[in-house]
Amino acid sequence: MSYLKETAAQLVEAAREEDADDAIAEVFDSSIDQIRYSNSMIDTSNHWETIHAHVFVAVGSRTMASDVRDLRRGADTVREVVGLARKSPVNKDYGGIASGRFKYKSGRVDKRIASLRNPAKYVLDAIDGAVSGGAPDVGGTFFVRNSRWGIASSKGASAEDANASLDLSVRAFTQPEASGQAVLVTANLDRMKASETGARAAELAISANDSVPGEEGKLDLVMEPLFLGGVVGATASMVSGLSVELGMSMFDKKIGKQVASEEITLADDPFMKSMSRRMFDHEGRPSRKNVVIKNGSLKMLLHNTSTAKRFKVRPTASTGPLVATLFSMPSEPMMFHPVLETGDQKIEELVEDVKNGLYINNTWYTRFQNYSTGDFSTIPRDAVLRIRNGEVIGAVKNIRVSDNLMKFWKNVDALSRTPEEIYWWDEAAPPAHLPAARVRKMRITRSS
Amino acid sequence: MIDEDVAEHTLDKASPKDGRALVEVKLESSQNNEISIKSGNVHSVSSSADAGMYVRVVADRGIGFASANRISKSTGADLARKAMRLARAGRRKERIRLSSEKTATASWSVKQRIRLSDVSNDERLQYLKSLDSEIMLTGVKIHGRYFEVVDSEVEAYFASSEGSRIRSMVPKLRMASLNTVSSKGETEQSIREWGATGGWEKTEEWNVGPALAEEMRILKDLIDRGKSVKPGEYDLVCGPEVAGIAAHESCGHPMEADRILGREMSQAGKSFVKPSMLGESIGSEHATVIDDPTVPGSYGYYEYDDEGVKAKPRFLYKKGIINEFLHNRETAGKLRLKSNASSRSSVYEKEPIVRMANTFVAPGELGEEEIMESVKEGVFMKSFTEWNIDDKRYNQKYVSREAYFIEDGELAGPARGCVLEITTPRFWKSLDGVSRRVEFTAAECGKGDPMQGIAVYTGGPLMRLREVHLK
Repeated sequence: MSYLKETAAQLVEAAREEDADDAIAEVFDSSIDQIRYSNSMIDTSNHWETIHAHVFVAVGSRTMASDVRDLRRGADTVREVVGLARKSPVNKDYGGIASGRFKYKSGRVDKRIASLRNPAKYVLDAIDGAVSGGAPDVGGTFFVRNSRWGIASSKGASAEDANASLDLSVRAFTQPEASGQAVLVTANLDRMKASETGARAAELAISANDSVPGEEGKLDLVMEPLFLGGVVGATASMVSGLSVELGMSMFDKKIGKQVASEEITLADDPFMKSMSRRMFDHEGRPSRKNVVIKNGSLKMLLHNTSTAKRFKVRPTASTGPLVATLFSMPSEPMMFHPVLETGDQKIEELVEDVKNGLYINNTWYTRFQNYSTGDFSTIPRDAVLRIRNGEVIGAVKNIRVSDNLMKFWKNVDALSRTPEEIYWWDEAAPPAHLPAARVRKMRITRSS
Repeated sequence: MIDEDVAEHTLDKASPKDGRALVEVKLESSQNNEISIKSGNVHSVSSSADAGMYVRVVADRGIGFASANRISKSTGADLARKAMRLARAGRRKERIRLSSEKTATASWSVKQRIRLSDVSNDERLQYLKSLDSEIMLTGVKIHGRYFEVVDSEVEAYFASSEGSRIRSMVPKLRMASLNTVSSKGETEQSIREWGATGGWEKTEEWNVGPALAEEMRILKDLIDRGKSVKPGEYDLVCGPEVAGIAAHESCGHPMEADRILGREMSQAGKSFVKPSMLGESIGSEHATVIDDPTVPGSYGYYEYDDEGVKAKPRFLYKKGIINEFLHNRETAGKLRLKSNASSRSSVYEKEPIVRMANTFVAPGELGEEEIMESVKEGVFMKSFTEWNIDDKRYNQKYVSREAYFIEDGELAGPARGCVLEITTPRFWKSLDGVSRRVEFTAAECGKGDPMQGIAVYTGGPLMRLREVHLK
């Protein structure tokens, strides 16, 4: 047993000794290096190492979660947490934790990533690739992430997992308002093509040269996977039972209904080799692939044990971190690695069949007027190219997609045949495997 | 109590004998609590203690940052070695020039009348339940009914190789709610936040219950009687919440010097503002936007920034002129200016970067009635729901949550889904009057990579914009 699983088991045991009825401990050990660069130079190199544990305990229906940051006194802290739980108010919505004799799959880690000695080389290659490609002004980030985690619970969970990944983001400028963004995300060192990623960002930036203000109207959009990553991220946050309960989802009472075009099959696949691969959820339930939307029809919502009980369905192994993060509530059911099934077209073919539209590289600042209706807007950025009669005729700027998210999915009529793993900052998140897509007749607006 | 010896020992290990690098050490210890309810029942309860430290080294041609979630002399020595190695591996073409600043020796804290650590989870729960009861008493059909209260007490000690030694203790409190009002098969949503530095007494000052109950009634009325705005040119009165988001998004962010200099180019973006634009016109004479960390009790309150520079108000736009950027020592040094204490780190695990604190439109001379009375045909956008702005901070959109038509100076029924989509100069140049009273709204501002959510206020008085396009 590794020290992660062992520590988790000790924390659970400490909770049991204090008469906790349910307990989960998940111990994390991560080492992350990051290089930030801008103006074609490295700005800062960051290094983080963190060992901590998320602990959840229940005394009857009185629950308490804690991020135990000092594991040297982990057992004492857990005892205090149980004491706090005992004094906490009754949680009538509590439905228990994952229980069973679980079997776990194991995942492989590219150990070369863990021992990477000179990450700056990749950054310099990316800068060089962009500059050689014609974009003199380059910025971005490069992360080397190494994480291990182990879990134990009072109801049978006992597992450990690890992952190592690289994620490179390159934004290249050729003019003050002409930029391209490219990312490379991989859990396989052999796939790290830093120079090519820089060159791709430069290519997009050049295509965005001499942009003119875009027009308002209903246009067809061809979106790169990076753009789609922002939209999938917004959608992923709505497919949980908790989001539906909170009124923060457009999928309420939509199971079995058409919520997208028949082209759309969206799954959460935590097994896929990726930056967010994981073999169990945060309750310790073995991961499973969940097909959420199948040929446009909503098949299921994602659940932890408690939301599943309230919805009278089975849990989906989707429990998120036990303690709130910047982007999730405690134990919030979530997609770990969205995968959008590919189509059969080349990207050029997606463009050829557009009479009046836009080709869009990236987007940001996706915000909702009303989550329960899906009314939203998002701001295309980097290369936004005008398509007329199947050809790119120039670049535009200063536009916004202001429409409805369900309409967006219903209007997708084609997908490209090749997926990419994408992740960028917290806009194209969580990490996902996505193709490019074409969506018909979306409303474009702009400032007066 | 944080052990200052760890900082001294770390500085001793990290500081090069030739003095050709700045070393900063920050030790931080915190207690964080969270409780939430959903539909009247407990949803989650958590409590965590944390302690950790970072070492930041600014060398000739690179900056290195290393952190760990533990505090000890050996950890400090290890982080010092790593940060120094990372800094010295920097390959900038230009030498880093930090602005020269006075060193500080200080100890500051924010007082609590009712200490957060003395408030039990039962008391927190009763508070949230009272809010839930208050909105339920309205009789309005409400879905979700989510309330959370999050609080923290953060003790920190900052030490630099230049000699600064600053101890601080900051209690912070935040309340958030999500509510969806439905009527006649349609919905409107209310996503709200309150925040402050201080103790539990702040919950009494916020008066959340009546405010939310009133909003539930208003949103129902909006569904039942609200009419959309016929697209066209109107006078627009912005409430403090809208004034605040505009101050934050189209003044505060574009005036962050790190963005202006390209440091955030691949994430939050650059800025339409260039260094050469200091002194240029951006708005009318009424457009004065201040970022002030020293507003007592404010959510973004601090007395010294994370480079040890004493906090002060910053006049970003002053009477319509681009007046002052937000600076840390690096950006100020590059532009041969002084830092104005804008360097902040959200937690010891994140590098300090240029941030806003409390950004607001300065008050004017007009009474609120005078603002309204002077509008013949227009809209009062009291609050907003959807909003966004492009990464150069030039094209922004605000969609109303609560809004009213104005006819001959009088409110004339609810306006639903009113959209202002406008450029930054057009927004600030259309401003022709502001009222006397400033109100603030708490928010979490996101920036940096990894993302750092940081506590801020946004705010302002009533603002009157003439002849803007609404849809």
